[in-house]
Amino acid sequence: MTFISIEFLLFFAVIVFTYYSIPHRWRWILLLAASYSFYASLNSYFVLLLLASTAFSYVTGIIIEKQETKKQKKRVMLAGICVLLFILGWFKYFNFVNDSVRAIAIYMNWNYSVPYQEIVMPIAISFYTFQAVSYLVDIYKGKLKAERHYGYFSIYFAFFPQLVAGPIERAKKLLPQFKVEQTLKYENLSYGMKRIAWGFFKKTLIADRLAPIVASVYNSPDATGSEIVLATILFSIQLYADFSALSDIAIGCARILGIKLTENFKQPHFAVSIGDFWNRWHITLSTWLRDYIFIPLSKGKKKRSEIYLVIVITFLVSGIWHGAAWTFVLWGLIHGFYRVFGDHTKHVRGKMASFTRLDQSPSLHKWVKITITFLLVCFSRVFFRSDSVAEAFENAKLFLTPHSWRPAGMIDALELFSLLDLMIFMFFFVIVQLFHYIERKNTSTWDWLSQRPAFTRYAVYVLIVVSVLIFGATGQGFVYGGF
Amino acid sequence: MKRLFIKLTIIMTVALLVFIPANNLVKHSRSYNINDDILAFKKDPHPVDIINLGASHSMYGYYFKPTGLTHLDLALPSQTIQYDFKLLKEYGKYLKPDGVVLISISQITFANAEIENVENYYEILDHSQIEPFRLTDYYRYLYFPGTQSESFTSALSSEMKKLKWDSHQPWANDGKNYAARKYDYVEDLYRAAEEENYFEQNLEHLKELLEYCQENGYQAVLTMEPVHQTYETYFDEAKMDKFVFQYLDTLETDVPFLNHMNDPRFADNKDYFIDSDHLNSDGRKKYSWIIYEELKELGYF
Repeated sequence: MTFISIEFLLFFAVIVFTYYSIPHRWRWILLLAASYSFYASLNSYFVLLLLASTAFSYVTGIIIEKQETKKQKKRVMLAGICVLLFILGWFKYFNFVNDSVRAIAIYMNWNYSVPYQEIVMPIAISFYTFQAVSYLVDIYKGKLKAERHYGYFSIYFAFFPQLVAGPIERAKKLLPQFKVEQTLKYENLSYGMKRIAWGFFKKTLIADRLAPIVASVYNSPDATGSEIVLATILFSIQLYADFSALSDIAIGCARILGIKLTENFKQPHFAVSIGDFWNRWHITLSTWLRDYIFIPLSKGKKKRSEIYLVIVITFLVSGIWHGAAWTFVLWGLIHGFYRVFGDHTKHVRGKMASFTRLDQSPSLHKWVKITITFLLVCFSRVFFRSDSVAEAFENAKLFLTPHSWRPAGMIDALELFSLLDLMIFMFFFVIVQLFHYIERKNTSTWDWLSQRPAFTRYAVYVLIVVSVLIFGATGQGFVYGGF
Repeated sequence: MKRLFIKLTIIMTVALLVFIPANNLVKHSRSYNINDDILAFKKDPHPVDIINLGASHSMYGYYFKPTGLTHLDLALPSQTIQYDFKLLKEYGKYLKPDGVVLISISQITFANAEIENVENYYEILDHSQIEPFRLTDYYRYLYFPGTQSESFTSALSSEMKKLKWDSHQPWANDGKNYAARKYDYVEDLYRAAEEENYFEQNLEHLKELLEYCQENGYQAVLTMEPVHQTYETYFDEAKMDKFVFQYLDTLETDVPFLNHMNDPRFADNKDYFIDSDHLNSDGRKKYSWIIYEELKELGYF
C-alpha cells in the first residue's frame, strides 16, 4: 500500500473515522495499530526491527535520564547511538563498505574474503533512526524528558503519515501533540484534504510523468549531451515534485488527525545561494544535520578552515544518509564544496556584482543568483541520479560541455517527450509554477484562494481532482521512499 | 462539518460530470477495445481453421477471410509467449482437427516477459490466469478506464493523430526515425531481459507451447511477419541473431518456420505498411494469401 493508491485513501478514511469516533484514551492504540499495519503492508518482514528499535530507544532514553552525572548520561547516549547506527549501518551500508574494502584489497593485493551479503534494506530505516538519535541526544541535553508512555513513544517512532519519508520530526514537537485530545475541526479537515490533493497533483502529474523520460536518458548508454542536460533539469523538477508531494501528503494526513508536522520545503529551486537552498530543501534533515552534526562538531572551533572542514563533514554525512553508494558521497562532497566556496567568495562575489552594476537592479541580481544556484544544484544531481561513479563522471562531463547547451540540441532533446505528453506536462508545470508564484507573493496559496470568489475556488479544486483522475500517472515509487 | 460535506459533494459531482466524457472517450478508443474480436469470439465461439498468436506484428499481420479460412486472431500488443500459451489453452479447443496455430516470432519475443497492459486480458482470460490480478484494477478498468492516464493519453492521441513531432511521424526520414526508436526500445528490453534472464524463461514457454500443440494435435507453425527495408537496416542479420535466432536455433523442433521478415515482395513497398514494421490492410491481405499458399504447400488444409 503506497500513498498514491485508492487502498491508502480508503485505509486513511477508515482511520480518520475511527479516530474521531473513539475516546481520546484509545486513540494511541488505533494510531499505533494503523502505523504498524501500514508499515507491514510495505515491508512486513521488518516490523520486528521497527519494534526492536523502538523498544531499545525507549529503554535507552529512560536509562539516560536516570544517570546522575552528565558524563554517565553521555556514555549511555553514545552507546545507544552506536547501537542504532550499527543497525542502520548493517542493513544500509554493509555491502557498500564491504565492496569498497574489497576493491581496495584487490588494488593493494591483499587477501580479503568477506563475501557479498544478500541484505534487504528495511524501508524508512534512515528516517526513524535519525528520529531516534535526536530523541536520545535531546534527553541527554536535558531538552526533553524521557517518554514513559510506551504507546505514545511507539507512535512517535512509527507515525504512519511521516514514517516512510519524513518529515524527520523531533519528539519535543510530536509527542505532546499525540497526548492532546484532538477534536474534529473543519479547518484541519479542509486544509489536510487540500494538502493531500496537492501532493497527489505534484506526484502524479509532474513527478511520475517525468520519471520515465529521465530514466530513458540516464539508462541509455548513448545519451547525447543535450539529453543529459535536459534530463538532469527534468530530474530536479521530478525530485522536488516527488519528495515535496510525499511531504504534502504526510502533512495533510497528519493535519486531518489534528497533528501539525514540520514543513519540509520552501520552494528550494528559488534559492539564491546553496546555503539558502539547504534552508528550503528537506528542511527537517538540514536542521537535524545542523543540530546533531554541525553544531556539536564545530563547538570550540574558531578557525575558518576548521569550520569549513566541519561543513564538508556535515554534507558528507548528508550524502551517505541518502544512499550507500559513492555517487551519494560525491554528491554530498560537492554540496560541501559549494557551501565552503560560497562562504569563502562571498565578498568577492559582492564586489563583482557591484563592479558589473548587477546589484543596482536587485530583481535581476536575484534572478541571476537563482539561476546559478539552480544550475549548481542540477550539476550535483548528475551524481545523485547516475548509477555508478564512472557513469556520473561521464554524465557530468557531458553536462559541463558547452556544446550540450546548444538551443538546437535542447529543442531536439525535447523530443524525448511525445508532443502530446510535452503539452500535458507543460500545462501542469505552469499550474505548479503559478501556485508557487502566488505563494511567493502571499504567505499561503490556500489562504489566497480562500479569499477568491466561490466559482474560482471550486474551479481550482475540480481542476486538481479531475487532472489527477484523468492525467495522473501512477506506478512509480517515491525516490525518497528508498532511503 | 455540514459545510465541508456540501463543498465536497459539489466538487465531486462537478468532477464526475467533467470526468464522464473523458471516461467515454477511453471506453470508445481503439486501445481500450483492442481485444474486441476475441471478446466477440468468446461470446459466439465457433470452430476455426487457423489461430495466430503473437504481439502487434502478428495482430496487424493476418486477414484470412478472402482465403475462405475461419480465423481467430489471438495476438495483442506486446504479448509475451507466456500469454500466447494462456490464450491458446483457453481458445485452442475451438480449433478444428488439424487446425493451424501460427506462432509469431518477433524482435521482442525472447526479451519480453512483462505484460504492459494486463487489462487487455481481464475479459478474455480466466482471472486466475492473470498475474498480477487486483480486483480494484479490474473494476477500475471496467467502469473507470478514464482514470488510467496511459489509456486516456492513448485515446487522446488517437483522436489527435497529427499532434506529433514531424520527426515522430511513422514515415519521417523514410521511416528511419521510427525504426531507430523501435530499435532503442528493443535494446532497452534486451538489456533488462539480460539482467533478469528472461531469455531462458521465454524459451521454456515456447517449448511448452509447442509441446502443448503437439499433445493436442494442433499444427504449429512459427512465423515472422514482413517489415519494411528501413526497419531491416536497424534489425540486420547480426542484430536479429542477437535478439532472436541465437535462442530460436536452440529449439530442437521440426515445426516449420515461415520467415518473411525480409520478404522482397514487401520490403520496398510502403503501400503495404502503416509504419516500418506493421502491415496495413492491403499488406495483411497479401501476406495472409502468401501464408495460406505456403501452408497448403506444406500439406495443411
